[in-house]
Amino acid sequence: MGENDTGAGMDRRHFLKTTAAGGLAATGAVAGAGSAQETTTGDGQETTQSGGDRAGQLLPQYTYLNNPANYNPARHDAINLIGTQLNKLGLRANVQVFEWGTLYNRVMQEQNFGFTTWNRGLGIDPGRRMPEMFHSSNTSPGEGNFTGYVNKDLDPTLMQQLQTSNTDERVNMLHQIQKTVNRDVPMHPIVQMPNIIAYNNQQVTGWTDHIVGYYHFEPMTNVKVKADHNELRGTWPETLGTMNVLGYNNETKLIHQFEMLYDKLIRINSELEPDPKMSLATEWERPNDQTVRYKIRQDHQWHDGEDVTPEDVKFTLDYIKDSQIPLYSTQHEMYGTDSVSVDGQWVQVNFSEKIGPVHTLFSNQIPIVPKHKWESRSDPANMSIEKPVGSGPLQFDYWDQGSELSLTKYGDHWNTVNFDRRIWRIIPESSTVWSLLKDGTLNYLPFTRIGRQLSQNQKQSQIGVQSTPGDGWWHFSQNTRKPGLDDVAVRQAAVHTIPKTAINEQVLYGFATEGWNLVGESFGKYSNPDVKKYQQQGNGVEVGKERLREAGYTFDSNGKVHFPE
Amino acid sequence: MGKVNFFVRRTVQLVLTLWAVATVLFVLFRLMPGDPTSYIVSPQMTPEIRQQIIANYGLNDPMWVQYVRYIENLATLDLGRSFKTNEQVAEILATYLPNTLILMLTAFVIAYTIGVTAGVLTGWYRGSDFEKSAVVTALVGRSVPSFWVGILVLWVFGATLGLIPMSGMTAIGTEPSGFWDMVFSVGFLHHLVAPVAVLAFYYMGYPLLIMRNSMLETLSEDFIDICRAKGLTERAIMFRHAARNAMLPVLTAAAIAVGYAIGGSVLIETVFGWPGIGREMIRAVLRRDYPVAQGTFLVLALSVIVMNFIADLLYGVLDPRVTYD
Repeated sequence: MGENDTGAGMDRRHFLKTTAAGGLAATGAVAGAGSAQETTTGDGQETTQSGGDRAGQLLPQYTYLNNPANYNPARHDAINLIGTQLNKLGLRANVQVFEWGTLYNRVMQEQNFGFTTWNRGLGIDPGRRMPEMFHSSNTSPGEGNFTGYVNKDLDPTLMQQLQTSNTDERVNMLHQIQKTVNRDVPMHPIVQMPNIIAYNNQQVTGWTDHIVGYYHFEPMTNVKVKADHNELRGTWPETLGTMNVLGYNNETKLIHQFEMLYDKLIRINSELEPDPKMSLATEWERPNDQTVRYKIRQDHQWHDGEDVTPEDVKFTLDYIKDSQIPLYSTQHEMYGTDSVSVDGQWVQVNFSEKIGPVHTLFSNQIPIVPKHKWESRSDPANMSIEKPVGSGPLQFDYWDQGSELSLTKYGDHWNTVNFDRRIWRIIPESSTVWSLLKDGTLNYLPFTRIGRQLSQNQKQSQIGVQSTPGDGWWHFSQNTRKPGLDDVAVRQAAVHTIPKTAINEQVLYGFATEGWNLVGESFGKYSNPDVKKYQQQGNGVEVGKERLREAGYTFDSNGKVHFPE
Repeated sequence: MGKVNFFVRRTVQLVLTLWAVATVLFVLFRLMPGDPTSYIVSPQMTPEIRQQIIANYGLNDPMWVQYVRYIENLATLDLGRSFKTNEQVAEILATYLPNTLILMLTAFVIAYTIGVTAGVLTGWYRGSDFEKSAVVTALVGRSVPSFWVGILVLWVFGATLGLIPMSGMTAIGTEPSGFWDMVFSVGFLHHLVAPVAVLAFYYMGYPLLIMRNSMLETLSEDFIDICRAKGLTERAIMFRHAARNAMLPVLTAAAIAVGYAIGGSVLIETVFGWPGIGREMIRAVLRRDYPVAQGTFLVLALSVIVMNFIADLLYGVLDPRVTYD
């Protein structure tokens, strides 16, 4: 397959890199395909490739990586539970605990694992990360397709869905991707994780559900505070670290701040539609698949009183490209130097390649920064910013590092918040956090962890809990490079055994939902309702064993699985 | 001359010890499992940009090059920049260390005042119920985990009775106008009470037990009988003569204890949400933020080594029988 062989006449390597941060290595397919692991034929028929040299042999032992109990107790318990089920199936799954950095390194760099589980999210666009996770050329160490899944027939669709601007076409492509991946199960959702917000209902009302979370612009500008102080008071367990919107590492705690400090060209509302009422651009148009034009809002000022202009937008886009800002590399590699221009109140961006869902991939990703503050900064990614100046509905008040951040209402914003101030206090101790929420010292928990405390405290009369389906899930990922796991039958059998109901009810207190599709129902029409559901049909272990027998695998007297003769 | 030689010799030893500690820290952090780059770079980044970031931090250089650079920087008091936030480590220390010092030193002064006084009295009233209860209290204070006591205190006096603040150094929404303005505010003192009480309870046992033992030894010496024969009051004998002579081991032990105390407040800082150096140290270790972790550990090591040095000097100053040969 040539580099341009995507069916769209474009440079697949480049497009993969730019749209999905997938990386360059087309040769990665060699690494991924090294163990003869093509699990589907051209017509989609499932195959079992046991190989003559391993006929009748015992399947190897697999390591199932687990995070420490104190890092994420619920997930730690869930992995142990799944490990037990895999052993009941007859696989030799050895659950091993590693601290997060080691675990991540084992998976991403060393690729030395059998099974692994953590939380993944798709963000606002259900297809943006698909090539990163499943494209055949993205399996080298450090790249996103860590399961080593190779399906050359699926590769063109993975890329084309990012290029088409026709929604129906894109939906069809994403449905096909879901169906194929769900059949081949290199990665499978264990539970679909909801967005949850716990709050003091005597002080706070009016949360709006949003797939990305309650920190998003729309829920945050809708929420109301009834307390005398009229302040939204939340907490986080660790220090914030930086106020540099161009020099952070996409950490949730900072996304929460920058989301409200800075405006973006386009905002996506809870209906998943670009919404001019929330956006810096009041109008936009797409002359073709490689061009987008934005009309920038007039009479809007930065927090220091300077006008927000189209030149600020052009500056921002040029600046993050010239400075190679790592966080926005996915976006700034979509357009070339000198490809952003200003025409009156309009800003035009010419992309190097065709871009499909431009707003979810590009327009709502980049925070617009003030030219007059940043143009003299030569090393923006490494700047220490003490007092950020944005144009969003919250403006910087003070930052007592390690203790507290205060943002105040920016009354001149076109879409103001309903409270006077938002305070974030750093509190590491979770029982203290819940005490303060109950007595009203705090009034919302920006990051509400599912667990026993949430389960118990939600029964308190002053505690409100709002939940909505989110974009993420706990994945059950299998290393398709490993003998045995290179066969779809073994992977399907393993997925059958996952005790999803027990995990949700016993470990997650019923807050999540059982996962069955990588693109969950929260994405509406983008979610394919017809994908195969690996639910426990009576006894998931028995269903899994039956799947293995069908594929020719045998069981010894100890119940362990052997390759087909 | 002996004193000067001793001072020079101990200073050289101090520098060598610091170098050894710095080297051990460098090696230990790099032997730890886990990759610091997994926290620096994001999966969203392209491989080229990841490599660029890794190169910027010098993490792709050979280990010996990293070590030489590290020692050179240390020699010029450059502790580097945080991998995570890009802040100067010195700035991070300057932000968090004063908070820890205020908490720790306040607790320390209270603990030694009460502990030494109680030690004198328990030694003097040997065999009394007071002695038994004081010794038991001291042993309990040293034995029970301080974080557990902290949680109990928070539960009873904070969550249940509402008498103490649950977290932090100031009330939520109080913008500090400056460090010293904050320190001398009523709100700060209110927040200080509980963590200081818990820490002081922990620290107190050590001086109490040492002072008691030292008192018992001193009270058995001849000059106490001479004092009585001279007709001095019991109070004068206890404090002016016995306690004064028994104080030497407590003072030298205190110097060393101060060094250890900075590190000892780590758990209390976490329980009480106190933004101190201990909390940052834990965060840095968990995130493989080598420069910050090394910097904070070096500060702790420095405090122990320097206080040991001071204790050595104090011996000679306080006890004329000690020679420097």
